Amino acid sequence: MLEKLMSIDRRIVFILVAIAVIIPTLLNVRFPITVSQPTRSVYDFIDELPPDSTILMAFDYGPSSLAELEPMAAAVLRHCFSKNVRVIGMTLLNVGARLGDRVMSQTSAEMGAVDGEDYVFLGFRPGGISVILGMGTAIDSVFSADYRGKPLSEIPMMQDVKNYDHIALVLDLASSGTPSTWIAYINTKYKQQVAAGVTGVMVSELYPFIQSGQLVGLMPGLLGAAEYETLIDTPEKATAGMSVQSFVHLLIFVLVVVGNVAFFIQRRRAQ
Amino acid sequence: MRRQVPLILCFLFGIVMMLVEFSPHPVSEGLRAEVIEWDLIIGPFALVIGVVTLVHTHWIRIRRRVEHWQYSYLVFIGMIVMVAFGLPMGPKNGGNELPKWLEWFKWFKGPENEVFVWFFDNVQVPMEATMFSLLAFFIASASYRAFRARTLEATLLLAAAVIVMIGNAPIGDVLWNELSPVGENIPSTARQWILDNPNLSSRRGIILGVSLGVISQSIRIIFGIERSYLGGGD
Repeated sequence: MLEKLMSIDRRIVFILVAIAVIIPTLLNVRFPITVSQPTRSVYDFIDELPPDSTILMAFDYGPSSLAELEPMAAAVLRHCFSKNVRVIGMTLLNVGARLGDRVMSQTSAEMGAVDGEDYVFLGFRPGGISVILGMGTAIDSVFSADYRGKPLSEIPMMQDVKNYDHIALVLDLASSGTPSTWIAYINTKYKQQVAAGVTGVMVSELYPFIQSGQLVGLMPGLLGAAEYETLIDTPEKATAGMSVQSFVHLLIFVLVVVGNVAFFIQRRRAQ
Repeated sequence: MRRQVPLILCFLFGIVMMLVEFSPHPVSEGLRAEVIEWDLIIGPFALVIGVVTLVHTHWIRIRRRVEHWQYSYLVFIGMIVMVAFGLPMGPKNGGNELPKWLEWFKWFKGPENEVFVWFFDNVQVPMEATMFSLLAFFIASASYRAFRARTLEATLLLAAAVIVMIGNAPIGDVLWNELSPVGENIPSTARQWILDNPNLSSRRGIILGVSLGVISQSIRIIFGIERSYLGGGD
């Protein structure tokens, strides 16, 4: 019996995980979300911006991280549009171009934001660090046109936004190491305020930058998205996803406890 | 000569760009902007090298009939289809400036390129998302097997992992507030304490160590001591 509890067949674990995902999804279970300070800091910073301020959102993620970062992007965009904060979207990853365009188009349509006046999506340019540094000199030296080919000189909201001097915050939504690149090159050199929203597995490595003040705030994965949805009082996909994730975490917790209890009993018997 | 020229260029650019970073003088700022322009031009060549390497690797796999060589055809099919429909949607978004004889074909219209977008939204996105979703199953199975309190270190790791995992899920606070008479939202508070203290301290140590390593490696490259980037195992 103990042996069985210590080595449950992985197929049974897979079935249990599937059940823990499917049933709460069907029942539409929702739990209240406790907001962490790093997410609240991002929210507070944007909330305190005067109308017509501009933030830059970098959609540095691909389809594999879509489930965590797209709800986050949508929540921040909703907040910005409701506060009349203008948003410039761009990406350092080629796969991020379509994803950024999609979430900006959908959220702007929902919030009644106007392309070119309330937001603009610049798309992708290869180069990474060079793109980041180039925009510090002049955004139009890197992006001569927006994603749909309209020259920046013809876009109303870009008339008074030329470089980081005119951007209140850079928010990097990332599934790779780009936040530390943004911090190293624009926070240090241009004193630009930077915030980040990253996948759950990356959160721990960015905490030193919060303490040093190089990050305004940090949104941790799907939980961060759910926290932001709670702050703007618009529970959507992330809030639903976190409730489902709760059951999977609880299942893993139970499995770990069962495995360890069986392990201890067996070790005591052996002694 | 084939080795000396890259070494000299590397030394010159390494030293000059390092000095430029510390100087706000207009001349150095201008130089920096100019070099960034060069870098932006050079950047896309990496893409060409990547494509050439990918084609070469899979062509060799097919020619030598290595295990699962048939899948290499899928790489070519995927690449050809996406390039055929994706090229008109290039970085300049020049789809809107296509020659007139192509304008009737509405699919080739910049980011509105429906076929390209359809493939991305309905093939690439679900495939990558599915691959990543599978991790949930494997992580559940691996956690169950790996998290055993065999030693003191393993017990500490197990305790930290369980606290962060339960603190990360809203159900942790809900259950605690319902079942425990002590405090409110203790799981999420404990998770935050772990992230803010032991995690932050150890991460800072790692970052400092990595940074010192990067600095020493950069100095080795600038002064030509480390030459592996030139190839040839020298």
